[in-house]
Amino acid sequence: MSAAPSPLATIRATARGYAPRVLQGRGWVLAGLVVVPVGLSLLIFTLVRIRGGEASPAEAVKVFHEVLVKMMLPIMALVAAPAGIREDLEQRPLPLLLVRPAPAWALPLGKGLPWFAWGALWLGVGVLGLQVLGGDPALLPGRMVALVGAWWGELALMTLVGLLFKRGTLWGALYFFLWEPLVRVLPPSLQRLTFTHYIESLAGSRAAEVRTNQLLAQEQVTTHPALAILILLAFGALCWALAGWKLQRTPIGLAGSEAEG
Amino acid sequence: MMIALDRASLRYGPILGLSPTSFELSDGGGITGLLGPNGAGKSSLLQLLSGLLPPSGGEVKVFGQAPFRNPSVLARLGLVPEGDRLPAGLRADRWLRMMGELSGLSGQGLKAAEARVLEVVGMADRGHLPFGRMSKGMRQRIRLAQSLLHEPELLILDEPFNGLDPEARLTLMALLRDLAGRGTRILVSSHILGEIAQLTDRILLLFRGRLLAEGSVSEIRQLLDRHPVELRLSGEAQALARWAVEQPELAALRIEEGAVVISVRSPRDILPRLQRAVVAGELPLRAMDPLDLNLDAVFQYLTKDHA
Repeated sequence: MSAAPSPLATIRATARGYAPRVLQGRGWVLAGLVVVPVGLSLLIFTLVRIRGGEASPAEAVKVFHEVLVKMMLPIMALVAAPAGIREDLEQRPLPLLLVRPAPAWALPLGKGLPWFAWGALWLGVGVLGLQVLGGDPALLPGRMVALVGAWWGELALMTLVGLLFKRGTLWGALYFFLWEPLVRVLPPSLQRLTFTHYIESLAGSRAAEVRTNQLLAQEQVTTHPALAILILLAFGALCWALAGWKLQRTPIGLAGSEAEG
Repeated sequence: MMIALDRASLRYGPILGLSPTSFELSDGGGITGLLGPNGAGKSSLLQLLSGLLPPSGGEVKVFGQAPFRNPSVLARLGLVPEGDRLPAGLRADRWLRMMGELSGLSGQGLKAAEARVLEVVGMADRGHLPFGRMSKGMRQRIRLAQSLLHEPELLILDEPFNGLDPEARLTLMALLRDLAGRGTRILVSSHILGEIAQLTDRILLLFRGRLLAEGSVSEIRQLLDRHPVELRLSGEAQALARWAVEQPELAALRIEEGAVVISVRSPRDILPRLQRAVVAGELPLRAMDPLDLNLDAVFQYLTKDHA
């Protein structure tokens, strides 16, 4: 008889076991979500310069905030999160994991870590690509940390939502794409309930480029960068923990469905 | 007791998967068959025992403890669920390594366990294949391999023979007998009596979420033999009917055009006699068709009998 593995050993084993999945279709879609917009921007930038035109370095700021942060990052979370526990729940290998003596609550994080690492890698590549486009080198670390921190939080949130609701992707999409526009007309303090607020706190000001319709709220609220990254990391950790708690508590049978216990 | 159920039941929302059921299985090796038609509650019972689901009522104890999310119980049992449940796109050996680590194995022990189980299921040279390139039989072997990694004392198999070719079926039976001989307690479910009878020394009979009977294979066979089986004998109806009425197992008879339909108890007794009569030329029989030999009909009869 073997002893039950520790939570750390469970996370390590699951992450290593499922890591090859990121090199399949969904993983490349994830990479494409970063590489395609940044690559296209670079291509256009290069073409304009070849034709003797002058491309503004402000384009890098625009691609970062309007494309990567507001569109691609949420879509990445919506694409990657179901590949974790939700997919195993629906495609039925999950019971094979749950009949192991390993702590079930550690499985969501273990399965999510390869996706986090893979997404973070491509977000890093994207931010470096934006430097070629003319990004301010002083803002590079802040942008990198902002994207990776937000990716950690958004992936964890979507994993949790996927375990809490059958239509988790739909609820996630509503949060990402309806809540933030709504915050503009709601009390300014509510912008603290958006990822964009913390990303902007970390990635630096875009005051010169921002237009009125791009403002997150009528009145800007600031959060210290150190606090912002701490909040993103803590929020992500909380979501992973809640997802683990949900899995630990929920009876999941061979049909993949939840039973009344 | 290795397994003890005390009025344990399982509900799926409003649907009753398993009525309050009580039984015990002692420690030590041996094979116990869980027999019942589809929907009888076999999988529900196995899910309770393997700790996937907690009981809705009553008590389930495996190794003296409730198994649901209980590492000290789960470390001692292995489950081979029904159906294809392997994650697409992964290699079998790497996946087995992960399952071994999740069972608490590590280092050389893990490597040895992985090599051992691949050898045992006859996949030593094909463990590097991704699941997507494996046949159904190969994937079934890997499902069995994952359950043996940590050398469980209790092995639970849900319809393990489904979809296997005859050779693979015999290999699996031999393997299970070998494991049982070495002290593993095996609980195997099936809806086919013949499969279970080839394997086991004890049967639990389930029907519509109820534990109908438990006993040895011969006891269960006797129980099943009490169910009258309908046979259509085609040929000279008058002569066939004359032969049939002389048989002590006959329960009912009706004559149709060119055939006689007989209802007999203990078909295993009457059929050899019928065969001998035909071979001796005493019976003008052209064809014989069993009308209700399926297990479901037998269980329906038993349920009425027990009511």
